[in-house]
Amino acid sequence: MINLEEQISLFKIIGSQLSKKVECIAIGGSAMMFYGAKTTTKDVDLVFLKKDDLEAVKKVLFNSGFDERKNIKGVFREDEEIIKPVMMDGKETRFDLFLNEVIGFIVHNELIERIKELHDFGNLRVKTASPEDILMMKACTEREKDRDDAAEIIKKFNIDWEVILSETSKQTKIGIAAFPILLYDFLTELKENYKIDVQKNVIKDLLKIAEKMIEELKRKDKLIRVTKYKS
Amino acid sequence: MMDIQNITKKLEGLQTVDSIAVSLGIARRTAVNYVWALRKEGFVETIYGKRKIRMYRISPIKAPKFGYPGLYEFLNQNSKIKVYPPYTERIYDHKPTAEEMIVKAIKTGNLRTILSSLALFNKVKDWAKLSQIARKENIGRKIGALYDAARTIIRVRKMDKKTRKALLRSKIDDKFIVKYARTKDLQQIEKEWKVSFPFNKADLEAYKE
Repeated sequence: MINLEEQISLFKIIGSQLSKKVECIAIGGSAMMFYGAKTTTKDVDLVFLKKDDLEAVKKVLFNSGFDERKNIKGVFREDEEIIKPVMMDGKETRFDLFLNEVIGFIVHNELIERIKELHDFGNLRVKTASPEDILMMKACTEREKDRDDAAEIIKKFNIDWEVILSETSKQTKIGIAAFPILLYDFLTELKENYKIDVQKNVIKDLLKIAEKMIEELKRKDKLIRVTKYKS
Repeated sequence: MMDIQNITKKLEGLQTVDSIAVSLGIARRTAVNYVWALRKEGFVETIYGKRKIRMYRISPIKAPKFGYPGLYEFLNQNSKIKVYPPYTERIYDHKPTAEEMIVKAIKTGNLRTILSSLALFNKVKDWAKLSQIARKENIGRKIGALYDAARTIIRVRKMDKKTRKALLRSKIDDKFIVKYARTKDLQQIEKEWKVSFPFNKADLEAYKE
């Protein structure tokens, strides 16, 4: 586990060792720490838009004593394509490096436009994903801690549910077709177990999007398999 | 006992005492007390509007502040012309200087941001450094032109001759300081630096208000 100060120190180390400008997006606990919504995190999750940038950071991390984890299990998409993040294990923490998508959740221009925070560490620029996007990415996982984090996000931020609904529709087209089902399950669970205030119409609209998507898939005679990220 | 988290969520954004009173359906005096309590917890930042009217920027979370302010915070701290920050930026690896912030502001290509950055010419300590960064970014002559424009309206430190010559000789990617924006004012500066100037005299008058 690391806190914000340690995370900043690590980013400074990376930034000072990079030979060119690299940009990435912090998601999950790492982003929540920048927002002040969390004090510590187990893993630092970063999304890159260019493979070269990911490789450059991976190399710096390796030179700083982080080792790449090879046996990553539990990352599936319904189209059977396995998208694995690069996991770099350190003594106290782990860096998860994603390229363009997070367990099927596609990072696109609108998500980048929603970014409201930039952190410069020399040659490393870390952008912070919006609370809405962090929340949606948490829905793709099955870890207990992610539920705690998601509950905290809804409690602390003024979540724009319109963004969530429009992004859900978009993700069904460009990312995971089953995304509305995952999100519906996730929010219903949060509502029941964490007593989180999610407006009724949001759940209803999500269900509508999910049903529409299932009908479309049925028409195309497509079967989907939904397995969540467990690592 | 007030629920601070809920109140901050309800009041997120810019508020005045009166708008808080209306939003929460409370008396003005009670609203003042709420602001006091929220500020004590670190959820409120006070800024001053026109005629010194107090405005409160309320945020539901207390983000820890490490590092140094980025471009927009730097401009708002050092310039009379304030800019609404499109995002929050922090710099961690070094303390930003006026020299690099001028270059950063010009690179945004945004009219108001560039106008606001003119005030930073008075904070420049190392002209050689400014010239070096500007030439690296291929905006040397734009910097020179903006410096001359700043001199017409505000008190600015004098640029040494060596820097001026270096900037005059420098290359630029395109002649527009703000894309496709040009005016007929300040033509002498435009001629000397061979750039298209985006402001007219009235824009610069904002520094006199």
